[in-house]
Formats: sequence, structure tokens, C-alpha cells
Amino acid sequence: MAKIDKVIVQWFLHHRIKQLESKILFEKDYHPFFKEDKKEQHLQKCQRANQTMQASLIQPMIQAGKPSDDIASLLAHKLQKVRTRYYWKNRSLQQWYSRHQEDNAQYQERKRKLHQALLEAETKVRNQFEPSTDMETANAVYETLQAKKRKVYDKACERSLAKFDQKMKQATKRHESILSKLEPRLQKFEDKLLQLDTSNSQLEAALPEGVVLKLDKLSMHFGGLKAVDQLSFEVKRGEIFGLIGPNGAGKTTVFNCITRFYKQTSGNVYFRNRYMEPLNLSKFKVHDVIKEGIVRTFQNVELIWELNVIENLLVAVHTQYRSSFFGQLFNSSRLRKEEQIMRQKAMKILADLELSHYAYWYPLGLPYGILKKVELARTLMVNPDLIILDEPAAGLNDIETVALQKTIRKIRDEYNATIFLVEHDMGLVMEVCDTVCAISFGKLLAIGTPKQIQQSTVVREAYLGGEA
Amino acid sequence: MNSLSLIRQKRIGQLKSLIHHPYFGFLVVGALLLFMQGLRAAGVNISITVMRTFGLTMIYVIIGLGFSILLGYAGLASLGTAGFVGIGTYLVGYLTTKMGFPIYIIIIISILGAILIGLIIGFISLRIEGMYLAIITLGLSEILNEVFKNAVEFTNGTNGLNMSTIVFFGTFEVINIETIFTALVFILVLVMVITFNIMKSPTGRAMLAMKNSESAAQAMGVSILKYRLMAFMIATVYAVVGGVLYMTYFGFSIPSSWGLAFSLNILAAIIVGGSRSIYGVLLGTFMIFGLDMAVFQTINVSPTQNASVAAFIARFPEHTEQLSEFFRSLNGAIPTMSYIFNGVLIIIVIMFYPGGLYQLVITLKAKISKLISKVMKKVKVYRYGEDR
Repeated sequence: MAKIDKVIVQWFLHHRIKQLESKILFEKDYHPFFKEDKKEQHLQKCQRANQTMQASLIQPMIQAGKPSDDIASLLAHKLQKVRTRYYWKNRSLQQWYSRHQEDNAQYQERKRKLHQALLEAETKVRNQFEPSTDMETANAVYETLQAKKRKVYDKACERSLAKFDQKMKQATKRHESILSKLEPRLQKFEDKLLQLDTSNSQLEAALPEGVVLKLDKLSMHFGGLKAVDQLSFEVKRGEIFGLIGPNGAGKTTVFNCITRFYKQTSGNVYFRNRYMEPLNLSKFKVHDVIKEGIVRTFQNVELIWELNVIENLLVAVHTQYRSSFFGQLFNSSRLRKEEQIMRQKAMKILADLELSHYAYWYPLGLPYGILKKVELARTLMVNPDLIILDEPAAGLNDIETVALQKTIRKIRDEYNATIFLVEHDMGLVMEVCDTVCAISFGKLLAIGTPKQIQQSTVVREAYLGGEA
Repeated sequence: MNSLSLIRQKRIGQLKSLIHHPYFGFLVVGALLLFMQGLRAAGVNISITVMRTFGLTMIYVIIGLGFSILLGYAGLASLGTAGFVGIGTYLVGYLTTKMGFPIYIIIIISILGAILIGLIIGFISLRIEGMYLAIITLGLSEILNEVFKNAVEFTNGTNGLNMSTIVFFGTFEVINIETIFTALVFILVLVMVITFNIMKSPTGRAMLAMKNSESAAQAMGVSILKYRLMAFMIATVYAVVGGVLYMTYFGFSIPSSWGLAFSLNILAAIIVGGSRSIYGVLLGTFMIFGLDMAVFQTINVSPTQNASVAAFIARFPEHTEQLSEFFRSLNGAIPTMSYIFNGVLIIIVIMFYPGGLYQLVITLKAKISKLISKVMKKVKVYRYGEDR
């Protein structure tokens, strides 16, 4: 009975901790975003007030004969308008003349009239910009009006600034109060969980420090076929780990066991997430793995063809949205904020991978290399700890493969992710990987640096066949 | 650029952003429907049949929108729509006439009931896919139909259930068709907005991911169980609410209305219109249901009742008998012609426009704008000559 109690309490604590973590994450993401947004609003307001002031001052300024760039540009704009109209009318006249060559007299008459009209219109516009004859009164009027409008403008700016400041203060206060409320609560729950947990120490023993992923005697049998047979190896944090093997060696099966698409026959998969908690992946469901920071790509590109590229990226962060279903029904302000934050993040990642040009394209019809990159970008959306790449270079040409090497290194360095890849392209594997593991018929052949693997006779035999 | 023209541009931009707001179209649809009712109230001759057609079609649009989320977004085919609509009608009929429940409480009850039913079918759908799911839901719908026929206590059997009053704040009130039409328009706009939000929300994206590639969806953290249940729940809630509105508007429900034909018609409307767009559903429903009710059912070419037909026959005195016989048989055939029309329409749409008529509209729009720009260019060349 006590044991069941403990399990329920544990489950509850886990649930609460996940909730609090996501709340804190949202708050931390949202606060700077909110600040920037409000600042921009404030600046826009000031700019608008400035525009209104200048627009209302233009007429008195002309009257007072003050020189100003604004007036000059307005005059030029109006003259340009008149001239453009003359240009088109003239062209129309030319066209008419080309059809009625014999009617020269009428043509000349019309041309003269048109030219006169232009001159008239120009003088009319210029007259509008003539200063008034009574300069002194006009000047006085202008000055009083300017002072008045200036005051209004200053007031509007001041008010906007005060509002902005107040909002900032409120937001910071709110932010701090929420964090100060949530963080101790999170700590409390974590402490409670630590007191309860006994399995943690076992897992801790199974998973050495600095190891992100560990397969422990993993076996996967399909009927009589042993696809993976008692396989064990370790992946260290921050390295690029390559898994190679001839066709049918069980590489993809290993991937599917890690990401829980298959339930293994025996053995365990251990994983240490970003909070350094050791986990036994055997207990996880397929769609829960991503929450711990494990993302994968697929051998044949699996994108959502009915969504555009940026929305494809947003599908990956789908678990990070915290708005309730009702919030989504009515497009609540929280959902809109979250959406903005996520879109910004997605755009940043796309820019990093030089894909921003394709952000609003639909993937159907894009080149294969781009699609592979989009899939890679999608994995980056969730701040992953472990990225699992299933044949990233399949279907790419040589230039794209070289670019891919750079991208993989960049991801490792900039996003602090461990990368675990399966690849047939030996050039890529030997170039990019820190550790290479070779398997054949589900069994471990050799593990070591790329050089060691190249020199290993066992691996060579598996690939080229043993001596007869 | 000077400040004056900047301000002018900004005003134009505000207007543009209002027009391009996604809800603007829905409001226009609502406004048009209200305008039609206003015209009728002002004395313009719009027949009651047309008004009833529009009223019923609005209800079918609501049902269809739920179905389009199920089919177009979650990729699940169901033929059980009719059964759920029937449940809605009988629920409101029984609770109002026998128990005297007010309508808003009935809507809440029906939504809760619909969520329950949706959950059950969602669980069934986890194991079964594609055509088999359609067959299972069809079976369920037929079972429901038999229940409607035989549970005489609740449904009044095959004679059909009448409901001429609804209860608002504790008092029975006779159904006023005009008021309910207005309410329907508001509900329709609300439902369209909500559906749009669902389609654009993370939920809609997750459903599309599930439809396109289940493994990719799962790898991205989309729980198949959750979103299938959710899709069925949404579709069922829409259907049951549609049933409640149907009974409130039409006042009569009979089991034979809720058979396979109705489910198939809804499916046809979604496919003809376009399963992933709200305007597509609107268009498809008006094509399938609206045309049938407003045109095919109302055309009367019987020589004794249609004056122009009689006049036409009178022009050929020697063939009077054959002609009147022909028109009499034609008059009997026309109401069934909507089936032929629908069938041909479905075949054409599936063969040439798999995205539905909405896709056709978009293509036409693009083509027309292209044509206009071409013509304008020619006019320009004629008036002003070639550019040098």
C-alpha cells in the first residue's frame, strides 16, 4: 500500500515539476520579448505624434517663409505629380498623332494647349508655396502655433514615456514576483522528490558522469531474427557519435529503440537529460521522449507537406505551448504571445541554417538538400540535448555533404547538443565524428576513434567479407 | 516622403489591415445573411423556402465545419455524422417538450454528451483506420437510427418528434423563425471564428502532422491518442450542436432524415467544397444542400400549375397530350435530379480539382487577375504607345 502511495506522490510531483518548469521557461522567454515590444510601441507613438505635429505646421511654415526640407520635398512631390500627369497626356497625344498624321494643325494646337496647361498647373502649385505678403503676422502666427503644437507633442511623448515606464515597472515586478513565487516552489517539489526517490541512485550508478546515452545489453528480436543482439555502448556529452555498419546491421532498429518506436526485447537504454537527471528510457512513450531533449530525423524526409516551412518548425515546439485548449479556441493573448516568441525563435534558427528565404514556402517541390536541412532545423527548435540523425547525407551531392559537415559541427558547438548519427557515407563519418561504433548483425564489432576503426580488421571483414 | 503622405499611407494601411483580417470574411458572410433577412422584413419578395434553405444550410455548415476538422485536419473518415445530429435533435426535443429544460442548459448538456460520445468513438478509432473506421462509424450511426425508430418513449418513433415551443427564462415560447434565423447567423459566425482558430492553432498543426506522417508526429511529441480523441470530440460536438439548432429552427425530426444519405451528403459537401478551408465548406454545403432545397425542390413544371409551361403547350395544339404527359413526368423527376447533379459534381471535382471548389475559385481568381493585367497592358499600349 505504501508503495502505491509513493508511486502516486512521485507521479504527482513529477507532473507539478514539469508544469512549473514550463511556466518559468515561458516567463523567462516572454519578459525580454515583452520589454522590446512595449519599447517599440512607445517609440512608434512618439514618431506618430511628431508626424502629426509637422503635418499641422506645414501651412503656417509656408506662410511665414521658413525654409524646411519637409516643405521642399512636398513641393517637389506635387510638381512631380503634375509633370507625371503631363508626361502621360503628352504620350497619349503622340499616340493620337501617329494615327492621325494628316491632322497636323490640330496636333500643334493640342500640344500648345497641353503645354500651357502644364505651365499653369506648375505656377498654381508654386503659388500655394509662396510665403504670405504680411511676413510679420505670419511669423507670429507660426511661432505661437509651433509653441502650442510643440507642447502637445512633448506632452504626448511624456505621457507615452510615463506609461512605458510604468508598464516596465509593473512587468518587472510581476516577472520577479512570479519567479520568486515559482522557483522556491519548484525547489520544494524537487527536494521532496529527491527524498522519495530511491531508483535514482541505481540509475546514477548505471550511468557514469559525462555520459549522455548508454545502451545496456540492448536486444531487439523480430520473431526469430535478432536485429540487435546484446548491444552496449556509451555516448559522451558533447561529442559527435557515428554508428556504422553494413546494410541490415540493425542501425535504424537501435535508433527506433532509443526513440521508443520499438519496445526492446531486453536490455535498457539510459539517458541523462539537461537537468543531469538520469532516466531509464524504457519507461517512456514515443511522444514523451522529445520532452527530455531527444529529437530525431528520418531516413526519408518526414515533413508535413500541408504546412509551410516555418509551421513545420512550430510543430516541433508543440509540447512547449502552455495555452489551454480554450485559449486556443478563442486565440487568447497568451497564445498570440507564445506564437510570436516561437516564430521569432524559428526565424532565428532558419537564419542560422541559411533557410530564411524558404520560411513561407511549402516543402513540396523544394530540393532534397533543403528538405534535409529543414528537418535538421526542426530538431533544433526544442533546445535538444541529443540529436539523432538517420542518414543525414543520403541523397545529397558532394558539395551539400561538405556543407552538412560544417552544419553538424556548428550545431554541436552553438546549440550544445550531442549528435548521434547513422551514415553510409564513410567520408562524412570519418571527417566529422569523434567516436565511431561499428556493428554487424546487431552485434558490436569495434568502437573507437575514426582512425582506429579504419585500421580495424574486424570492420574491414564485415564490410568486404572475410577471407575464404 | 514627407509627413503628410506618411499619415495618409498609414490610414490606408489601417483600412487594408482591417480588410485582410482573417475574421473579416466571416463577418461579411454574417452581414450578407442578416442583410437578406432585413430585405425580407422590409418587404422584398423573398420566399419562405429560400429563407428556410439558408437557415438549414447554415446548420449544415456548422456540422460540416466539425467534419472538415475531422477529415481535412486529423485525416479520419467518419460516416456517423447523421447519428450524432439525430441525437442532438431528439435530446432537445425530449428535454424541452417533456421536461421543460431551458435551451441554454440543453446546449450545455448536449455538448457534454457529445464529448462523451466523441471519446468512445475516438477510442475505437485508435485500432482502426481508413475505410474500416468509416464502416464502424456507419454501423454505429445505423444502430442509433434503429434506436430512434424504436425508443418511442423518447423519440415518438417513425412518426417523428414535433417541437413548436422552446423554453428561455422559464417560460414556453412559440418558435419564432425570424429570431432564430438571426441567432443562427451569430452562432455561425462564432463557429467559423472558432474553427479558424482551431485550424491555425498548435492543435490544428498537430492534427495535420498526425495526418501527414504519424511517425514524424510522434517523434515531435504529438500524442496520437490525445489528438484523435480531440478530433472526434470536436466533430461530435459540432454535430450535436447542429442537431440542437436544427430542431430549434425546423421544429421536427424524423428518424429517416438521419440515415446514411445525410452522412454521405455532408461528406460530399466537404469534398466538393474543399476539406481544409472554411469558405470551401460554406461553398460545398450550399452546392450540395442549398441548390437541392432552393432550386431542385421548388421548380414546378406541372402544366396545371405553371402558367408559362401551359402557354408553351398551348402553342402546339396537335401535341398537347404528349407534351403535358412529358412535363408531368419531368415534374416528378426534377426533385431527384439533385442526386445526378451532386454525383456529376463530385466526379468532376475529384478528377480535376482534388482540393475542392475552393481551389477552383482561387485558381480562377488568379487567372482573372492575370487576364485583367494583360488587358490593362494592352489598353496602355494602345493609349500611350510602347515604352521607349
